[in-house]
Amino acid sequence: MSELEYPADLRYTNDHEWVADKGDGVVRVGITAYAQDALGDVVYVSLPAVGDSVTAGDSCGEVESTKSVSDLYSPLDGEVVTVNEGLDGAPEQVNTAPYAEGWMFELKLSDPAAVEALMDAEAYQATLG
Amino acid sequence: MTGDPLKTSPLHDRHTALRAKMADFGGWEMPIEYPGGGVLREHTAVRERVGIFDVSHLGKALVKGAGAADFVNSCFTNDLRKVEPPKAQYTMCCDEETGGVVDDLIQYFKAEDEVFLVPNAANTAEVVRRMNAVVPQGISVTDQHSDFGIIAVQGPRSVEVVEALGLPTDLEYMSFTEADWQGRPVIVLRSGYTGEKGFELVPRWEDTPALWDALVEAMQPYDGLPCGLGARDTLRTEMGYALHGHELTMDITPNMARAGWAVGWKKESFWGKKVLEAQRAEKTCRLSWGLLATGRGIPRAECEVKNADGTVIGVVTSGTMSPTLKQGIALVLLDRGAEEGDEVVVDVRGRDVPAKVVKPPFVQVETA
Repeated sequence: MSELEYPADLRYTNDHEWVADKGDGVVRVGITAYAQDALGDVVYVSLPAVGDSVTAGDSCGEVESTKSVSDLYSPLDGEVVTVNEGLDGAPEQVNTAPYAEGWMFELKLSDPAAVEALMDAEAYQATLG
Repeated sequence: MTGDPLKTSPLHDRHTALRAKMADFGGWEMPIEYPGGGVLREHTAVRERVGIFDVSHLGKALVKGAGAADFVNSCFTNDLRKVEPPKAQYTMCCDEETGGVVDDLIQYFKAEDEVFLVPNAANTAEVVRRMNAVVPQGISVTDQHSDFGIIAVQGPRSVEVVEALGLPTDLEYMSFTEADWQGRPVIVLRSGYTGEKGFELVPRWEDTPALWDALVEAMQPYDGLPCGLGARDTLRTEMGYALHGHELTMDITPNMARAGWAVGWKKESFWGKKVLEAQRAEKTCRLSWGLLATGRGIPRAECEVKNADGTVIGVVTSGTMSPTLKQGIALVLLDRGAEEGDEVVVDVRGRDVPAKVVKPPFVQVETA
């Protein structure tokens, strides 16, 4: 796993998602380098709809590789304000740039402070063993 | 099989050295994909250049003794008498009572007294058991699962790669020859499961790593890749080839799978002949078709297929994203009455994905 990176400025969940604080109570969400590597080539991403209300731990989409389907979970409570429509035509960006072009959706948090309760990069990497 | 430790291929060390992702295939721990490749890149390597697959988990069994060919021909569906040694043939082992498919396999017709079988990993013991239950005196059926490895070399450049090892390549489709590679015996069969031109090499178990290493080196000039069983599955699905456990099962007969071409209907007997003949005449069983997703989404095995009225008319047996078409594709069983071009929907975990009924293959290749 040495070549997989976990940026220090992001927060992480046990469901292998990363959360970036964009300010004003908005966070951007994607899946980690570990998750994309475990999935293999991502060929289809089904995202929540803008305006959806989501609760932490809810399944709100799906990430599909050639062989398998994995649920996409909401890391926190909030409302979906933006989704990455670029993944429609180029789902492989989840593999090639999981923290950049491969982002999935943005949430307006019900409780902006909740993001602090998520794991930091060090704690997340420790869960990977 | 639950609880038993997974068996490993003679190339297991090679796969772990390459840090392949491994998974259970019929009780064997085999590579799904390799780092640096991945299913899509490995798939493309085979369609455009060349790739090699470790398929040593496939079964091997030897039927030997006076009348071996006739005995095999009285068990399995295809008519071995349509070919002569040294030729191989696709066939099926059906259940006498139900006509369900115990396994599909390749039979290598070596001589009247010798037929070599390559069944699927998980079904080898059962095929051998069923044969041994009825084998006449003087003929032996021996499970040789771990006596040989099998490496598939597939893709438009496979000829150059096999030739580079000094092995014979001038073979008709499904012909084989027992060759010598650096003093080691290797069977070379012109065959494959990808739709591309290719070969399946059968070395002795202990010679398999050296042969793999030589192939890895020989395919370098052609930008070839070691390919996992993930790419093997997307390649065969694009061709519409059946995979036992999906398109052929104890509940899906050769008639339903449209595998009648591999049934010797005129033979005096084979396991399941009566019930299969009756089903064939009745013309009421579901039939296999292809589906091409016309909307976003990927049909997966066990998803229901519905017609325009929302009535369930079938089920997906295999489904994936076609790496070549970049569209969802599926192999399905549909009720009678379905026709090419019909618009249907696939219930993909509660979401309706529109699709069109087609006849596989999904992609055109220069087969074999």
